[in-house]
Amino acid sequence: MSPPVAGAASSGDGPPGRPPRELYTIPASSGWFQWDEIHETERRALPEFFGGAGGSGFGTASRNPRIYREYRDYIISRYREDTSRRVTFTEVRKALVGDVTLLRKLFAFLDSSGLINFSASPSRPEAQQQQRQTEAEAVVEAPVGLQVTPRPPPSYFAEEKGGGGNENGFRLPPLTSYSDVFGEWAPGMAPICGLCGMECRDGNTQILKGEANIHPGDKKERIDNHSSSAWTDAETLLLLEGVLKHGDDWDLIAQHVRTKNKSECIARLIQLPFGEHMLGTVNGKLDNRLHKIQTTDGKVNKSTVKESSSQPTETVDDMQIDGNEDGADKSVEEHPTKHRRLFSSIDTTVSLMEQLAHLTTSTSPDVVAAAADAAIKALGNENPQARRAFQLSEKEYQTRAFSSNHARQRDYCSDDVGGGDRDVEMHGHPDKKQGKMFISTTYQVRAAVATSIGVAAARAKRLADQEEREMELLMASIIETQLKKIQYKIKHFEELELIMDQEYATLQQMKSSLVDEWQKVLKRAFETGVPISRDEVLIKLFQNKPNL
Amino acid sequence: MKTVSLGAARPSSVKFRMPTRDNLVPIRVDVEVDGQRYRDAFTWNPCDPDSEIISFAKRTAKDLKLPANFVPQMLHSIQGQLAEFRSYEGEEMQIREKIVPLKIDLRINNTVIRDQFLWDIGNLDSDPEEFARTLCDDLNITDPEVGPAIAVSIREQLYEIASQSVSAMREAARVSKKGRRAPEFASNSKAMNNSLDLFKYFGSKGSVVRKRKEWYLYEPVVDVVTNEEVGVTDATEEINSRCDYEPLFVGFPLDLELQPKTIVARNA
Repeated sequence: MSPPVAGAASSGDGPPGRPPRELYTIPASSGWFQWDEIHETERRALPEFFGGAGGSGFGTASRNPRIYREYRDYIISRYREDTSRRVTFTEVRKALVGDVTLLRKLFAFLDSSGLINFSASPSRPEAQQQQRQTEAEAVVEAPVGLQVTPRPPPSYFAEEKGGGGNENGFRLPPLTSYSDVFGEWAPGMAPICGLCGMECRDGNTQILKGEANIHPGDKKERIDNHSSSAWTDAETLLLLEGVLKHGDDWDLIAQHVRTKNKSECIARLIQLPFGEHMLGTVNGKLDNRLHKIQTTDGKVNKSTVKESSSQPTETVDDMQIDGNEDGADKSVEEHPTKHRRLFSSIDTTVSLMEQLAHLTTSTSPDVVAAAADAAIKALGNENPQARRAFQLSEKEYQTRAFSSNHARQRDYCSDDVGGGDRDVEMHGHPDKKQGKMFISTTYQVRAAVATSIGVAAARAKRLADQEEREMELLMASIIETQLKKIQYKIKHFEELELIMDQEYATLQQMKSSLVDEWQKVLKRAFETGVPISRDEVLIKLFQNKPNL
Repeated sequence: MKTVSLGAARPSSVKFRMPTRDNLVPIRVDVEVDGQRYRDAFTWNPCDPDSEIISFAKRTAKDLKLPANFVPQMLHSIQGQLAEFRSYEGEEMQIREKIVPLKIDLRINNTVIRDQFLWDIGNLDSDPEEFARTLCDDLNITDPEVGPAIAVSIREQLYEIASQSVSAMREAARVSKKGRRAPEFASNSKAMNNSLDLFKYFGSKGSVVRKRKEWYLYEPVVDVVTNEEVGVTDATEEINSRCDYEPLFVGFPLDLELQPKTIVARNA
């Protein structure tokens, strides 16, 4: 392709796009543009040059891709001679040979796509008096995205830094004085939290309107940054006060303490030598409420259970250590992160039973039965004594383990135990029970533990199965989609093949008709006796014909 | 490849119409009654019922405060031109790529515009009005009458070319009743007279970018004349028209202060 002659001559720097390279701003939406290619967008916008609406074929003498490129390249080079000046159709068309209607369409396309007149000053001096068409002005306004990105406002940078680097990322909040912000601050140090006065190391500093730097955590739980710091006596006192006042509403307690957050308060209270007592008395008045709002949600159930579990410690202090250990281990396994505060509290048979009961409510009784059976069997094999113990209390045990209703009953039973009359009944009521099941308690505990593990395993298995099914389903759908895609492709290719065949057939036809005609001509020539000059090309063509 | 691309320019034939996107007929009215003269140019949609013409004429006369005896004359003029257009309408018209130079030489009020450009008769997507609007925008012509006048002028030329080719075909068909070959040839030879040599510019060796020294030929020239000059040219035009000499594309004289010079009855 020869470069546009006039364009190259008039633009001193030669056609753009060749060295030396120059930068031109075009809208991002027109990023497809390339000097030596015609993009699909162009084909769609100006189908005339590419053989009509279909875009297939070669066009006509004055409209074909080559002509299109000559037009396009000339117009764009013309504009780029001086990008600040608006190039008009009228001045372009005088230099181009061709249908003005077509040229105008092409020009309008280039204009609207921003390839020309994009950086041109919107108002020519003489154009101001005249009302330009709105479309022309719309082009001048910057479209949504520019390839040459404009410099964002300064605030953008400040935010970027504040989010990214914690060391130097901060800016002046609107209403702070210098000393507020810079008082103790030196380069290299993190900004200082306006509330707690500590350095902000977590990089989450947000500047709130009208406030100094504040840790995000400070608003909700104001003690995020002091998690490692030790408890002072005053804080402990506040904590105890809070516990007495608010029961186990740890949000309120944390607020009361103010300098520590919720989980720290809980941990601290449990660490205290009399933590259980405190909890016990406190839970006493709250337990009923808690149990009334029991839902089917396993988590809620468990947490309530655990809270109540710490209270009857004294009633079962004759528990054997191994059972306790089992319980503790189990709870660790079950809830590695949640309810950490309760690990230190001593789990008991009752609480284990309750847990079991709650687990049973969330799984089917059959599963529990199977799990319990398996557990008892295993225990029996381990220790023949255990089997005897189970045989003794098998009935009761089974009813307890199998029926969730019964388990609930036991729940409420234990609530009573933890209730306000605890002091009175503490030794009487449980003792009756204990008396009955004293011998087998150990094994029961172990059995319960095993059962609950079994149940948990069963649930896990079920969930895993479910997930697996879902995965299979998804996989199947993916495969199906892929198959469909392939089918479509095959179809497409078949169509293409059909078209090819048709074209081939028409070509053959044309060829045969040509041969016929030529034969006719020859025949007539022979008849009339006119000598015909031998046409090497044609003869060769016909000779080749059978081979094709 | 080249032969294929040129061979694809197969002429398709349609019923006669204006070779533009909107089938609008240019109408030029020049009526003189009792020493008063009314000259106007506009486009008319031939699909509109003829009853529109009388109401249009009445309305125009009323708006321009012309005597009522103008109306039948206007009516006659418009109807005559439409009838001429319709006489071609049944004919087959060959649509093929044919690029012809069009010339504009107009004076509208105080604006004199001369221009030349290439127009593809076979492009049924062309829009003279839009072209004229762009031209006026690019040249900062503020007179609202200029654009429509240019458009009408373009349409007149297109109409003439189209009707010529049709009547030539008709003529040729009458002379030789052998078939289609003869008239095609005739129309071809006639068309070749003024149409562009496509190969010269669009062949693989030519360039569509015009040589610099030819630019002035295809460049619009706009002059603003003063009122005195307008009077002079008016007078010469007057003489010319009296002498039955028809200047090619005349604008509108000022003698009647006509405002609605162009009424495009597109959707009427």
